[in-house]
Amino acid sequence: MQVKVVIGTLAFMLSMIIMGFATLREPARMERFTLAYEGRLIEQGAEVYKNNCSSCHGVDGKAEACFDDASGEQIACAGIPLHTPELLCDGDSMPLRLSQRDWAGTKYGYVASVVAAGRTASGMPTWGEAFGGPLRDNQVENVTLFVLNWESAELCAGPPPELYAWPDDVEEHLAAFPGDVAQGEAVYLNPTYACTACHGQMDNPASAAIGPHLAQIGVIGAERVAGQSAEQYIYESILYPNAYIVPDCPTGPCASPSSMPANFGARMTPEEMSDLVLYLASLGR
Amino acid sequence: MATFFDQVREMGLKQATVVKADEIVERVTVGMNINDIRGMLRGDEPRRPNPRLRPHADGFWFHIRPSFYHTEVTKIYPTFRLGWLSTFMFVWETITGIFLMIFYTPRPGTAFADMWNIMSNVPLGQLVRDMHRLGAEVMVLVVALHMLRTFVTGSYKKPRQFTWLTGMVLLCLTLVLSFSGYLLPWDQLAYWAVTVAVSAAEAAPPAEIVGYNLNLLVRGAPSFGAGGLLRWYLLHVLVLPLLLAIFFFVHYYKVVLYGISLPPGREEIGEDTAKRVPKDERTYFMPDIITSELMWSALATLALIAGSLWFYAAPLENHADPLVTPLHVVAPWYLSWSQGWLKLASKEFIAFVFIPVLAVAFFLMPYFEVGKSRRYADRRVGLSVSMLFIAFMLVSNWMGSPEYLVQSTPEIEVAQELIPQEGHSHLLQVPYETLVPGRYVPLAPEQEVPGNKELTHALHYFYDAMRLYSCRTAENGSGPWETCRERVRDDGSIQYRNSHTSDAMPNPQAWLLIDQLQHNMVKLTLCFDVTDPRDPNVKLVDNDCSAFKFRHADSNYEEY
Repeated sequence: MQVKVVIGTLAFMLSMIIMGFATLREPARMERFTLAYEGRLIEQGAEVYKNNCSSCHGVDGKAEACFDDASGEQIACAGIPLHTPELLCDGDSMPLRLSQRDWAGTKYGYVASVVAAGRTASGMPTWGEAFGGPLRDNQVENVTLFVLNWESAELCAGPPPELYAWPDDVEEHLAAFPGDVAQGEAVYLNPTYACTACHGQMDNPASAAIGPHLAQIGVIGAERVAGQSAEQYIYESILYPNAYIVPDCPTGPCASPSSMPANFGARMTPEEMSDLVLYLASLGR
Repeated sequence: MATFFDQVREMGLKQATVVKADEIVERVTVGMNINDIRGMLRGDEPRRPNPRLRPHADGFWFHIRPSFYHTEVTKIYPTFRLGWLSTFMFVWETITGIFLMIFYTPRPGTAFADMWNIMSNVPLGQLVRDMHRLGAEVMVLVVALHMLRTFVTGSYKKPRQFTWLTGMVLLCLTLVLSFSGYLLPWDQLAYWAVTVAVSAAEAAPPAEIVGYNLNLLVRGAPSFGAGGLLRWYLLHVLVLPLLLAIFFFVHYYKVVLYGISLPPGREEIGEDTAKRVPKDERTYFMPDIITSELMWSALATLALIAGSLWFYAAPLENHADPLVTPLHVVAPWYLSWSQGWLKLASKEFIAFVFIPVLAVAFFLMPYFEVGKSRRYADRRVGLSVSMLFIAFMLVSNWMGSPEYLVQSTPEIEVAQELIPQEGHSHLLQVPYETLVPGRYVPLAPEQEVPGNKELTHALHYFYDAMRLYSCRTAENGSGPWETCRERVRDDGSIQYRNSHTSDAMPNPQAWLLIDQLQHNMVKLTLCFDVTDPRDPNVKLVDNDCSAFKFRHADSNYEEY
């Protein structure tokens, strides 16, 4: 019996020593697990992003490379860039896009609420279950963490981004960014913007599937609104597709509101815009 | 009666404190003072009247324990301490369970985050969770072994039939109790294992009335959600433990009433002498049994703590997703046999005929099996049947695993080995820094990625997985795989097989892509390309890169 007392006491003491040993390791372990939890949420968010977001915002979030889910072909990105300092880097106090939209909350709150509720004007669907969308709350959280994880020292290294406010008058824009007609065709053919998907190839009117064929737009654009140049008409139509709705489209009367993405202002550089406007305005003249 | 102050005045503070302490100890132990306890632990003879019997007579905690046992049943054989150990596990589960309850809310929106909070933000939280989960599995094992022992030694025979019956109830309650805890983490493992298990409820005939309502009852709604989780939580922490406690006391009362049966060889056939213990064969509870139990408690605690800390990790998969069924949903090992049976026959038959009949047979077995002898030599048939039954259950358990009858296509099985939808793999456990972006092929044992031991290791596993699911055709085959055996299917197409699987990839190409997706995250993609050996223009698997997984720098699969 004495042996049992000794064994029992030793076993109990050993248990307590092991518990003490485990306790000493806890602070470091808990820190690693906290990071691991967030890392795994981001991994889950990456999956949500890949399945639901990448066909509009691009596989790398730059709204440059978007692929059709079913066919795998490259298509026009309908979303705006997310992997950009504008959204992710705190300029003076908060990211530019947030201050631009008068957002008073956090970056996380902004992205999460846009994902959850959606935006009518830009065609961002409602994703959050709470607002009638298909994603559960935790999926919205995960994809938000994933988007915010594009923030890196490298991305935010440069000077804080400045917002380019598109002037109303195309002449003003062209004065700041003179542009190059020769480069315009490349912008038109760039699969990122995928103009050809709707407006077709310039030498083949039949290839315009959804939007009007643009081979004569330099002439037509100048006549459409009295007193307005072709450049101004094209410039406004690219930035604000609903500004003017053309009566006839290849599939019948053109849809209103326009089915053309309204995100080119956020996606095109000012230089590309000048190149494209000058190129289109030169057509048919 | 003198007050404490009178005593201080009379004897001085020191002596008065000793006397007072002695008095308190005697009151707490209902009869044993400090000297009695010390003498007991030293192995002295008790004074007369024996104070070591008084806690059994007058105290609450020991009144249910017998004051002495037959010396024959206090050795390891015949009980193997399994009944005691079952009780210990129940107490263990209660204590660790209460700890976990503090940090858990049974609500789909928070339950999963609570689990990670326990693991990352509660000191010793992961350890206690591991102890609870390990304890649950050990408890199932111990209770099952306890039942087996009772059968083997014939201890269920008259007059202990009812003890056996309550023991069967306890076994079932233990299984359900363990399984009801499965749903609470609200991860994919939990959600789908329980979904599959309770789907049998839907099939209860007639399905339109009984099945429909039974399903509502167990899921709280047509499918699992907030209602179902709360229901299973209450079952787990309240209803089942309460039932188990009640049946435990009935069971133990009967054990004490009839005594623990002696080893079969010790008594005449048909005799039951457990309660007639001669004076010289008595082992008293105080001090021998209680010392022994305390020692075993300390040893079991040590084993469970050390086991949880170093050898066992309670699994936690991704958040439950009712829309995504993971490949290979499996029941826990202690219910895997039922999953095996479900693959062979209809749900209705298994869940509402076969298992109930089997259960009733087990419950009532001692009332039918009335052979008088408990001796092994007289029970050759019964013991043989029980061994066959154990073998049957082991085979059934294997049939419950995905290896039996639910294999997917070979490329999906390989992908599942390397980048499983849920859980761990050798590739995921590679440290993040060694996942250098690039294109990699499976590596034979002698090959390596220069300067990258960890990735080399994972690519060897890739090779092993490919070897299980690949073969080379005899005429134009390539690769180090086994030679294909071919079988023509009914529709004229060829089925390629090897010794491991009936669906192998002939002459496959497979590679792993590692892409940098974000500055601290890579994407792992597995690609497969298999050309039909009969016709180079036909692809059996056409550049399929649909298996992928993301790996964040911090996600730490190497540790958990």
